[in-house]
Amino acid sequence: MTRRGVLSVLAVSAMCLMLASGPAMAQQKVIKIGALYPLTGNLAATGLDCKRGADLAVEIINGKFDLNLPLAKGEGIPNLGGAKIEIVYADTKGDPKNGLAEAERLITQEKVVALIGAYQSSVTKTGSQAAERLKVPFVCSDSSSPTLTERDFKYFFRVSPHDGTMARNQFEFLKELETKLGKKVKTVALVYENTEFGANVAKMQQQYAKEFGFDVVADIAYPANASDVTSEVGKIMAAKPDVVMHAAYITDAILFTKTFKEMNTVPQGFLTMAGYIESDYLPTVKADGNFFTVRSTFALDLAKKKPMVGQVADLYMKKYNIPMGENTARSFSAPFVLADAFNRAKSTDPEAVVKALLETNIPGDQIINAWKGIQFDPKSHQNIHASAMLVQILDQAYYTVWPFDAASRDLVWPFPAWKDRK
Amino acid sequence: MQGISSKQMALGGVALALLIIFPLLVDSSFGQHVMILTFMFAMCGVAWNVMGGYAAMFSFGQVAFFGIGAYASSFLLLTFNISPWIGLVAGGLISALLAAGIGYPCSNLRGHYFAIATIAFAEIIRIVFNNWKLMGAAEGITIPMLKESLANFMFHSSKLPYYYIMLAFLLVSIAVCYWVSTSKMGYYFRAIKESHEIAKVLGVDVVRYRLYAIMISAFLTSMAGTFYAQYILYIDPESVMIMPISVQIVLVAMLGGANTVLGPVIGAAVLIPLSEYSRAWLGYKGTGVDMIVYGTLITIIAMYQPEGVWGSITNLMRRRK
Amino acid sequence: MEQLAQQLVNGILIGLVYSLLAIGLTLIWGVMNVLNFAHGEFLMIGMFISYWLYSLAGIDPLLSIPLNAVALFLFGMFIYRFVISKVMKGPALAQLVVTFGISIFLANFAALIWTPNFRSIEHTLLSGTWDISGVKLSIPKFVTSIGSVLTSLGVFWFLRNTRIGKAILAVEMDREAAVIMGINTERINSLSFGIGSALVGVAGALLATNYYIYPFVGGSFSLVCFCIVALGGFGSIEGAFIAGILVGVVQTLGGYIFDPAYKLAIVFAMYLITVWIRPQGLRGL
Repeated sequence: MTRRGVLSVLAVSAMCLMLASGPAMAQQKVIKIGALYPLTGNLAATGLDCKRGADLAVEIINGKFDLNLPLAKGEGIPNLGGAKIEIVYADTKGDPKNGLAEAERLITQEKVVALIGAYQSSVTKTGSQAAERLKVPFVCSDSSSPTLTERDFKYFFRVSPHDGTMARNQFEFLKELETKLGKKVKTVALVYENTEFGANVAKMQQQYAKEFGFDVVADIAYPANASDVTSEVGKIMAAKPDVVMHAAYITDAILFTKTFKEMNTVPQGFLTMAGYIESDYLPTVKADGNFFTVRSTFALDLAKKKPMVGQVADLYMKKYNIPMGENTARSFSAPFVLADAFNRAKSTDPEAVVKALLETNIPGDQIINAWKGIQFDPKSHQNIHASAMLVQILDQAYYTVWPFDAASRDLVWPFPAWKDRK
Repeated sequence: MQGISSKQMALGGVALALLIIFPLLVDSSFGQHVMILTFMFAMCGVAWNVMGGYAAMFSFGQVAFFGIGAYASSFLLLTFNISPWIGLVAGGLISALLAAGIGYPCSNLRGHYFAIATIAFAEIIRIVFNNWKLMGAAEGITIPMLKESLANFMFHSSKLPYYYIMLAFLLVSIAVCYWVSTSKMGYYFRAIKESHEIAKVLGVDVVRYRLYAIMISAFLTSMAGTFYAQYILYIDPESVMIMPISVQIVLVAMLGGANTVLGPVIGAAVLIPLSEYSRAWLGYKGTGVDMIVYGTLITIIAMYQPEGVWGSITNLMRRRK
Repeated sequence: MEQLAQQLVNGILIGLVYSLLAIGLTLIWGVMNVLNFAHGEFLMIGMFISYWLYSLAGIDPLLSIPLNAVALFLFGMFIYRFVISKVMKGPALAQLVVTFGISIFLANFAALIWTPNFRSIEHTLLSGTWDISGVKLSIPKFVTSIGSVLTSLGVFWFLRNTRIGKAILAVEMDREAAVIMGINTERINSLSFGIGSALVGVAGALLATNYYIYPFVGGSFSLVCFCIVALGGFGSIEGAFIAGILVGVVQTLGGYIFDPAYKLAIVFAMYLITVWIRPQGLRGL
């Protein structure tokens, strides 16, 4: 062996030693949380958004920040000797099979004590099933299928509102539109991408339309990866609805927006979700996105009432150089809920954590989302305060327009004709 | 196809024994999961081989049978509380019948027209299930968590039963494939593969034997589908009826070595651990490096082992002799 | 009635885009009997080239068509030369796997270097819609379809009136005979792979004017394109052209009259029925 060879072997072994002794020297307890997200493949942009939110949350929990968020001010988890939180990510590629496998791997091999994720409800379904079997808490803050909290799982908790709540909120808005603003809406068209997400939303909307007394004049399911949606838009226009309710992922949201413009679809308003509030939506459609109304749990203008939101959004902007959005804000909340539970339980033992989670009571001013707080229903484990607000895209940014008393800008209704713009 | 020599028997026995004790030695649920998936895709690959390798009908629509198997047992269990084991057979029969129904009009299609027809067929099945309210439509079916038992085909505390059941399924399909390849049917298949016309002249009922191949293949693939549903406990068209699964099955068969009994097993043993472990090790970074590696490797294997990995293994062994 | 006319127009517009994509695919298919699974990813690369030319150099996608064609032509030749040609003598399945591997590689590699985010080109030379007695005609889509027709005509002309074109047709008809006639089939293979790719490049530039751009955009086109190529008859340029329009119209009108959720099922059913009656596709040999 040459001298250089010997030297490099020595250097490598020294490095290995240092790495091996690193954690021992630090003497700091680390609590591992597993996170399931679609980090590669066609939902990668969304998954990475979620990852950024959770990363920032952990940074705030572990570091010292003067923010009105649970555990922000001290370092780590005070009742566990300042233990730091570490998130171990796993890529699901949006496949339920991987949700199961990765949840198991994170729990059994990476020894995570809790899970968060997984964006798509179908993946959350299998991932939380694995968590339930292996008795590890799963705190979900981004999947919206109502079925998830209908299973009465012991270890599954959901912070964010489900599609049923959000559909009800949409119809409450339509009612108030009449009672408070005197704008009458009678008919709605339901348009949705035909996978688990869209189909569930439509089912809930059908139910609440009946309850609130609106006529559903069109119920249009379309294939999620359509390359052309002119026939769907044609069907919408033929039904002449007052309001179009659209449940879309990002690709179809972009495609529909362009097609609505092209075919000059002008109902009184569009009530949309998901795809229309992805962080890629506005940069892609730009001014064409104006005046769409989107259901959301977060908007940057919440900062007017909760200055902390502005501070968090600034931190986010500084760190990633893009504005904070809905997906990020949702995934941001789960680590806090868990950290708060660890702290009160003074332990990471699953049973103690579940007990602490059930006693969770985080007030509304300590979360960045527009909810009155976080408290879980003892049976379903759904956050009883979770609700949706409506934001409208105005001047290519999202502004809260409903609930009316929380609005930062006035709702523009009806939807202005495409040709009258700029 | 020659008979099996005693040496090959011994080798096979050793391999089987290793597979049986493997999960007892490796107590990693992810490791076991990867093996289970490997067996599952190996089984699908073996089944593909019956029609694709021997009878030269390249199917890119195997996922239809896989999905029907998953749906049949889940639907029967959920609605009528019928044991998944009966659902397994029912799904297999439905798949085989459907395969015959679609295979008959397609029986005069050749090569690529047939391949695209299988894609079209599978996509139609997917779209129908995606809108079929009785089958849960796009929301899919959540299989209720019953008490764990062999009768319920459901196990919660350990993966071992799933492991051994899937291994048994794989052995069954290998046996069927071996039987097909050595029986009269196998010779007919090869005759058909060489040339429809010559086979006809030799008195082979081309349409009938092509249908047999499709039906056997469909039945076995459907069994794997039922297993998937009982293992994952949630199915929707987006997870059990999409084209990438069909492609995966073809890749497994092709990379291992189409037209050989054990080729697909080798193919699965290379491909599935590759994609699972690369995802686990690299996927979390969100860079897609795992998929880049995967894409590159299958390209390289196909470039340098166009006859499949199994072919080069047997060549190597023959050279040793 | 107005809506029906509108849907017919929309169907033809999207159909012509399909045609252009399918012609590239069928050319490669006809000449070397390879189904290029990476066709959609070639389209994606074409769209990204237009995007970067636009956002970095301010070149309008329409002006980037020739650049795109040349770039994809070279790229196609490169892929053929260093990857596809190595498996040309192997079994058909090996070729499929290779193109499939390339497609996974390209989509994910694009996501790695360009991020998986969505992009679009906003201010192109063309925008807006014409209103022809109630029927809306999107100008970018209209120009795209005109571009598709012109390019297709160009391919027809090229194949029938140039030496290389005739050689390509000869190889497509009978490879052995072409070899005996002294045609260098290897060169013809790589040329047709290049030309097929160049056509996708043109389609990419045209689509970039009105479609979103992201690394996995190819996926939404490739399946339909396979179906179109088979429907038209493998290797038949005019078959692909006709089938593209047919699929566009059937998909759009079918979705409108029946149920959009089934629109692709209708297209696939049309394929199955067609090959049941005519196993060689509409214009296949």
